[in-house]
Amino acid sequence: MSVGKNIRMNSIFNPDDGKCVMLPVDHNFLVGPIRGLENVEETLKRALMGRLDAVMVSPGQAKRLAHLFRKRGSPALVIRGDWSNAFREKTYTLPVRSIQEILIAHPRDLLHLGATGAVIYYFVGYGDEEKQAQHYERMRWFIKNCEAVELPCLVTVMPMGEKVSGANFVDFLELGVRMAVEAGADMLEVPYTQDVDTFRRIVAAAKGVPVLCAGGPKAARLRDTLEIVVELLHAGASGVVFGRQVFQSEDPAALLNMLYALVHEGKTVEEVLGLIGRRIRLKTLAEKCIGCRLCEIICSSSHGSSFSMGKARLRIREAQGKYVISTCTLCGLCAKACPVGAIKVNVELGRLEFNEEKCIGCGKCVEACPTEVLKLDEKGKPLICDRCQGDPQCVRWCPVEAIIAEVY
Amino acid sequence: MRRCTDLTLKGRGYAGKILYVDLTKSKIWTEPLDEKIAYLLLGGKGLGIWLLYKLTRKNENPFSPNMPLIFAIGPLTGTSAPTSSKTCIVTKSPATGTLLDSYCGGFFGSELKYAGYDCLVIIGKANEPSILVIDDDNVDIRPAGQLWGLTTLEAEKEIKKTLGEGFKTMVIGPAGERLSPIAGVFSNLRCAGRGGAGAVMGSKKLKAIAVRGSQPVHVYDEKEFNKMAWVAHRTLRMSESTARTMRIYGTANILLVVNEAGALPTRNFQTGRFEDAEEISGERFRETLWVRDFSCSLNCPIACSKIAVVNDKRFGEITVDGPDYETIFSLGSNCGVSDRNAIAYANYICDLYGIDTISVGGIIAFVMELYEKGHITSEELEGIDAKWGNAEALIRLVEKIAKGEGIGSFLELGVKRIAEKYPNSKAYAMEVKGLELPGYEPRAAQGMGLCYAISERGACHLRAYTAGGELLGHLGGIDPLIYDRTKVMYAIDRQDEKAVIDSSVLCFFTLFGLRLKEVYQMILPCTGFNYESEKELKRVGERIITLARLYNVREGFGMSNDYLPERLLKEPLPEGPAKGMVVYLEPMLKEYYKARGWDENGIPKPEKIDELRLSEII
Repeated sequence: MSVGKNIRMNSIFNPDDGKCVMLPVDHNFLVGPIRGLENVEETLKRALMGRLDAVMVSPGQAKRLAHLFRKRGSPALVIRGDWSNAFREKTYTLPVRSIQEILIAHPRDLLHLGATGAVIYYFVGYGDEEKQAQHYERMRWFIKNCEAVELPCLVTVMPMGEKVSGANFVDFLELGVRMAVEAGADMLEVPYTQDVDTFRRIVAAAKGVPVLCAGGPKAARLRDTLEIVVELLHAGASGVVFGRQVFQSEDPAALLNMLYALVHEGKTVEEVLGLIGRRIRLKTLAEKCIGCRLCEIICSSSHGSSFSMGKARLRIREAQGKYVISTCTLCGLCAKACPVGAIKVNVELGRLEFNEEKCIGCGKCVEACPTEVLKLDEKGKPLICDRCQGDPQCVRWCPVEAIIAEVY
Repeated sequence: MRRCTDLTLKGRGYAGKILYVDLTKSKIWTEPLDEKIAYLLLGGKGLGIWLLYKLTRKNENPFSPNMPLIFAIGPLTGTSAPTSSKTCIVTKSPATGTLLDSYCGGFFGSELKYAGYDCLVIIGKANEPSILVIDDDNVDIRPAGQLWGLTTLEAEKEIKKTLGEGFKTMVIGPAGERLSPIAGVFSNLRCAGRGGAGAVMGSKKLKAIAVRGSQPVHVYDEKEFNKMAWVAHRTLRMSESTARTMRIYGTANILLVVNEAGALPTRNFQTGRFEDAEEISGERFRETLWVRDFSCSLNCPIACSKIAVVNDKRFGEITVDGPDYETIFSLGSNCGVSDRNAIAYANYICDLYGIDTISVGGIIAFVMELYEKGHITSEELEGIDAKWGNAEALIRLVEKIAKGEGIGSFLELGVKRIAEKYPNSKAYAMEVKGLELPGYEPRAAQGMGLCYAISERGACHLRAYTAGGELLGHLGGIDPLIYDRTKVMYAIDRQDEKAVIDSSVLCFFTLFGLRLKEVYQMILPCTGFNYESEKELKRVGERIITLARLYNVREGFGMSNDYLPERLLKEPLPEGPAKGMVVYLEPMLKEYYKARGWDENGIPKPEKIDELRLSEII
């Protein structure tokens, strides 16, 4: 790699670990004004209080917001050189009838705007083969001219078009990555394929070109976002390009710092969320409950009873058109009622402990349970909630966070 | 976490057993589920159609005691997979005479699996109104007594009172009892609405089925399965449509977008834009009537279902599940009605008496056009002024049809039969094979024209659902107005994928967030089947679609039945982005048959039957 390009790449990717946390804010001219980017300058100011490596902007934003990137230690500037209608949201706007992607800048123009890197889209999966060929030609032209001015080029590869279906999405992504690499892309941005094994395939297809993972629409649960970051790093990704996850959260700088800790400091999700070694209790928000009962199924499965509604240590009931969530509240009445001391309350860890050998199957614990959650299994032994040894699965799997873990 | 080393099906997602109930002889027995059938057809739709094919002879009457009524579930049912409690009901449709596969939410499906069965096959006819009670191994037929004649809601409440909370039910309403061809089967506010499955159940004098089970569901590799189910759940949680828009605006979230695209059927498909679309949008329902979101099935993170509380001096206070998009189109824009309360109330009446809202709306829209054109008079309609947009007329017509009273007993026979009485109305009799059209204007979304024409059960949108790409931007979208090979291949892909979902059995809406990849990744550790890639799973879908076609072909259906109403083929759409369009069905149909490996008459060729290994099982 040439000197100029090398310097710029090391500005985007931390040379100590080869990884990058990038914040894109160029959505407005692609998908319309979106929540969190009503005032790009304000959003960026807030975000820049966190730690990150690079920012992705449109040429107009680069020009208007140059003053934000003048400080020493400011993030690298990656400027978009193309536009597309492919991401237009359907609400209140007609969905696209024909995917369009056009270049809006010469790499030289981006250099003049202070770019550390340039970014364009590459779509693969058009129904019209001529359109596909033309897009490839455009991409190569752009990359060639980036090379001429030592500007690293990031290609965002997306399966997009009439040929794309549920069964071939990953195949097309892999093909698109190979095509972009052969066209000379210096770095790649791809959507997450939702699991490690298929994502590894994508990273492998990139043949050493660093792969960054796109964030997509804001996840409802913070933990999902963080777990995905760990997964994709595990699969060989070199970092993230997370926009909505960051600027649609309540504290963008805090989220960026969490991402930075995961990407550059190898922290775990539990460490970043502050869950290690803490005492937790289950808090229920019944008004959020949608009655799906996933908590009951996964409770049963996590405790070795496979998938069975009757083996859960918690219960969802419907009463007068509302859902009632009954969990173990650690009241300790079952422990008090037990004549042989088979149930103990571990105050330090905040959970019940059950000694199955001592249990005589008298059922007094079930009678004593005030929330009527405690049940006996087919052997007559109580199904005790042990908070899943500190990582409650009902909390982890609840789609609406109607059960959460509270540290106390 | 266990890993199953057993080579039989039990413990690999399946229970390994099919429960047979003969109502005539009061005989109850089980038979093992064949591993080859499970491997080739998965379960649900595939299993149901195969059983229907094998258990009936050609031209069996849907109301004959020999006609099976099949409740089929799949390997994912009852596991931690999202939406894993839906049930697939298979029989022959009394409305169309074709294959009928109809899907119901609620928690019946998973309970059937917990009771130890992969499928329930009911044949025969009880000599008195009965209910079937399944409690693990204890299965018996009991007299329905006072239940017969009750509405669906009353019947379910009564059964819960008598049998206890743990039982999950499937019931028919009075419409099913009187063999109405638009009667559905209902469960916990949800229903298998289309095609008249409720009438088949009524013909067997079966009011309800109650099931309770205590056996856990085991899968082949539980640890790996939960990992993949987690990915599926997370994918749904992180997808805008399934995590946000469906939750907030229900299925009605698409209404304004569809209207904008000129594809919202209005006044019996006279046009594709409704001037009062805003009034019946999901946004307005959210603001005015909806009070609660809920998941209709086990482990569903989407919760698109809504509870509406309506307070109106015309009918007091009612609570109803819905209305959903199809109901809003069919009882709203398609009748020119913009009165939200009236639409919700009409939905409520349909639920109580147990009929399909799409068909009832299609019937009323047809009646309104006949009335507009002077072919049917207010006298014949027993004093109803069936003008477009007349909410009172809507309510009164729905009540008559739901109860089968007066003119209602004729109207409930469906648009096709009504059109026979009015000779010049055929051009705007909006039905295919005898089933009324759902809520997408095919002239503005050509793929839906193909979808309606070739669907196994008559005009149905839930098969080759191209509207996702054509109108809603799914997977990058596809031009709604093209009708070339690209569109046909896109439709075939959607149809195959849906068949896999229908056999696993999951909810259609999982496809608004998941791709086949996530389903494939769950099916493997669930069943231990060695499908090499997701393409092979898609093949299962292709196999099932072809099997469905073979059943219809056997029953005498062919290319001449793959039609569309003349309005769609000859009348250019008057407004909107698709102004001037008709449906170019012929080229799409030709290409569809070719691409599917069927001959010019739409009959699967022998090579295709062999290639798909169907010759091994039928």
